[in-house]
Amino acid sequence: MKEIIKLILKYHFTIIFILLEFLSFSLIVLHNNYQRTVFSGYTASFFGTLSSIITDVDDYFHLRTTNHKLVAENTTLKNEIEKLKAYHHVVSIDTTWLIKDSVEVDYVYKTAAMVNSGFNKTKNYITINKGTTDGIQREMAVCSGEGVVGIVQNVSKHYARILPLINTNLRVSGKIKKNGYYGSLQWDGDDYRYSYLNDIPFHVNAEPGDTIVTSGLSTIFPKDELIGFVESVDKVTANFLTIKVKLATDFKRISELYVIKNTRKQEQEELEAISNE
Amino acid sequence: MSNIKFVIHFLILLLIQLTILDNVQLHSYMYINIYILIIYILPYRLRNATILFFGFFLGLFIDLANNTMGIHAAATTLIAYIRPRLLMLTSNREQIDDIQGKQKISDFGWFFKYILISTAVFNVVLILGEAFSIQNFLITLLRIICSTVASIFFILLYYFIALKKKRN
Repeated sequence: MKEIIKLILKYHFTIIFILLEFLSFSLIVLHNNYQRTVFSGYTASFFGTLSSIITDVDDYFHLRTTNHKLVAENTTLKNEIEKLKAYHHVVSIDTTWLIKDSVEVDYVYKTAAMVNSGFNKTKNYITINKGTTDGIQREMAVCSGEGVVGIVQNVSKHYARILPLINTNLRVSGKIKKNGYYGSLQWDGDDYRYSYLNDIPFHVNAEPGDTIVTSGLSTIFPKDELIGFVESVDKVTANFLTIKVKLATDFKRISELYVIKNTRKQEQEELEAISNE
Repeated sequence: MSNIKFVIHFLILLLIQLTILDNVQLHSYMYINIYILIIYILPYRLRNATILFFGFFLGLFIDLANNTMGIHAAATTLIAYIRPRLLMLTSNREQIDDIQGKQKISDFGWFFKYILISTAVFNVVLILGEAFSIQNFLITLLRIICSTVASIFFILLYYFIALKKKRN
């Protein structure tokens, strides 16, 4: 301690000089528009690179949990396959002509990794490392292994920006799985774990623990993708319920995502456009 | 130089700077700053830390007047910091007595060396602080040189009028 004080006393001139220069520099950056713009340009590119490195390192520490999740998901998928195989055996005995070599699928899944995200603002965004070169387009659905994440909002060559469920600008059509009533899911900008399902008629029976899934009414999300579970039910207006939904996706922990392409989207939209004329 | 004389020089230089030189528009290639002479002629017996604070607040004052928050302060703090070392390097005991003593500054040679280095350093910080990037470095360099030459010219003018020791 004595040595430190001695050192400070010995170099107090230089220390005062550095402090004053630092003060001047912060005054320059804080009070001059031009200098502030230049400085924030430098910091933005610096922290952009830094956050990308941190994400890379951070991913390693979550490998274990990510692995567990993948294994769990694999198991469910394998079970599905087994079920389908069994079903196939039953059906295909005399309907083999129905099964073609190349099956046309409704939805194509693509994996992507998250490079940047936010969860503490009212308008949060997620950036992923796939872009137009990987076939990502606007308004594609994005899910994690746990459930729905959001919608692709903007695409560049190698990156895409996602409007997640925890952005007050996004509305997603959600459905109570057990009885099929649907409403619109919108976040209130408060807690990243909860969202609200509105426009459900008051007579509908909804209880805590019920599953909320996508309705499949829009051309974006496949039917029955998990959104979350009912946390509590409130009757705010006279005719409609507001259902607090605990989101299945933990936005603080996602890193691996699926982008889902609806292969028949264009066809459906064209048909609907013709019908509207 | 006695304290009263110093205060008078201080006020005159500040007045010249704020009323005349800050209103002269010579493109943006030339900034004329005569007020830094105040730091050069500060009494030698002052403590180094005092000189630093004096330099900082003098720069800040000019900043407030010119709406260039922090830029002048950074530059004046630096020349206040190098002042003791520079005096040690460029002058001998007799001349140091000169700057603090009863007589006016007499030896032109060392005084010129002293203000040349200080003013150049001052303008490097000032212009870089204003440009705030190293793009167009040649233009920045040109501005530094022009401003240094112009400032030194006016400082010398003041020196010959008010500070130079009259021969008997």
